[in-house]
Amino acid sequence: MIRLRNLTKTYDGRRILRGIDLQVEAGEFLFLTGASGAGKSTLLKLLYAAERPSDGGVWVAGQRVDQLSRHKLALLRRKIGVIFQDFKLLRHKTVLENVTFVLRFHGLRTREAHRRAYQVLKRLGLHHRQSALPEVLSGGEQQRVAIARALAYQPRLILADEPTGNLDADLAGELLSLLCDINYQGATIMVATHDHALLEAMPARTLVLHQGRIEYDGSWPP
Amino acid sequence: MMHIFEEGLALLRRRGAVSAVLALSMAVPMALAGFTTSLSLWSRPLVALESHATVVRVLLHPRMDVAQRQAWIAEQARNHRDWRLSEIDRETLEERLQVWFPYLEDLLEGEHAIELPTLVEIEAGDPEEVTALAEGPAVIAVGPTSSIDRVLGLTARTMTWLLGAISVILLASAFLLAATWIHLEVFRHADEITIMRLVGATESAIRSPFVVAALIPGICAGLAASVGAWYLIRMVAIAVEAVGLSAPVFPPWLVAAEIGVGVVLPMAAALVTMARHARVGETD
Ligand SMILES: Nc1ncnc2c1ncn2[C@@H]1O[C@H](COP(=O)(O)OP(=O)(O)OP(=O)(O)O)[C@@H](O)[C@H]1O
Ligand SMILES: [Mg+2]
Repeated sequence: MIRLRNLTKTYDGRRILRGIDLQVEAGEFLFLTGASGAGKSTLLKLLYAAERPSDGGVWVAGQRVDQLSRHKLALLRRKIGVIFQDFKLLRHKTVLENVTFVLRFHGLRTREAHRRAYQVLKRLGLHHRQSALPEVLSGGEQQRVAIARALAYQPRLILADEPTGNLDADLAGELLSLLCDINYQGATIMVATHDHALLEAMPARTLVLHQGRIEYDGSWPP
Repeated sequence: MMHIFEEGLALLRRRGAVSAVLALSMAVPMALAGFTTSLSLWSRPLVALESHATVVRVLLHPRMDVAQRQAWIAEQARNHRDWRLSEIDRETLEERLQVWFPYLEDLLEGEHAIELPTLVEIEAGDPEEVTALAEGPAVIAVGPTSSIDRVLGLTARTMTWLLGAISVILLASAFLLAATWIHLEVFRHADEITIMRLVGATESAIRSPFVVAALIPGICAGLAASVGAWYLIRMVAIAVEAVGLSAPVFPPWLVAAEIGVGVVLPMAAALVTMARHARVGETD
């Protein structure tokens, strides 16, 4: 599902990622961890092509993402559900519209998109806020909208960047079990986090980023 | 399809007042362009005068009958081999005069109707030679041989070109208005465009709402411009009619043309602007 070869990313001469090689099979669940600033978000951004590698290659779902045309990239991104660390909600759209907006790309009619979005929001305990604008929501609520948007169209690959950063322990646990369900149905899931409680709550393949390299790749705890 | 329209409307709703101002400010140059176009159409009969510059018009006595007229024409043709003479029939003459004197119809009708003299057009190498015909009893008047027709025609032609150029400049300014507005809107929404790209929106999904948002003020501008052009032409018509000349008319197709311009201009402006700023909101 994911293949990285000699992936290198440099920002203003600072090497954030130094020649990373990685293979992730379809249906895997893995954690990506490391200190703040280790480059977790950067690695995920390279996967959904929000950044281009300084060197090396990135393959997702069999396609080399750093060389895709704009149109093909758009189509590929529709197969990836990204939970952004900074949420990236459309500020002029309501909670429900933020979710239905992407469902529309998948050809869903208005009514069906609303039904599906409502279901996901309900599962995340946000259905009562469906007509609110993102700016009036708490951090945790905004995060859950971002999660709902990423999960609503049942993508085959989910990239989650600190998905529990603003959630309390209960909500974090619930999210984890939701992600497990989805993984059980066959989706590949990659969660970037520095929340050790999360790592311990669920035994899974874990990558530790340190000084631009994958320092550890295996089950957790080591 | 429907949701593109909805997205466009949502963009518009957020900027309701500005879109209204855009529609009005596009309508002004568009109305003026329609007005200048109608004026240039109106001056077309004058332009035609220019090509008649070597033609001298001669009026024959109205009491002459057909045979007498033909004999006279034949005689002139015999005497001046380089002249080309042609008799203008009554209907054509009436039609021509009516362009400039709308009340002619009333003079030609009823009991005390006046009789139109016969008009003969003579194309001569040297128009001055024709003046001598005025001495003969058959001729009541010889038209001006001066280059007044040429001057009038030239003036009218220059005016037509000038008005055409002004129309183009006015339409260009309407285009720039629309393009500038879309430019601003695109930059105002750069963050949202970034997010849309990240969640898989294609270029057409990103651009279409802006096109719709430009199209609606454009169509409104087209309607407003039609009304404006109609009003301006009406004002000129009132003034011209008061002098007794035939007034310019508002051609009905101008409404379609204004709306057409209202559709095409902002659409072109949107597409051009968005293509120029295709990278706005791109993340790398
Ligand atoms: N656009 C950018 N320009 C310059 N430097 C950047 C840019 N994006 C990230 N960096 C740098 O790259 C390093 C890694 O950032 P990244 O966001 O990937 O860290 P992270 O592991 O996700 O951290 P956190 O746990 O705090 O989210 C940081 O030092 C950051 O300053
Ligand atoms: Mg991060």
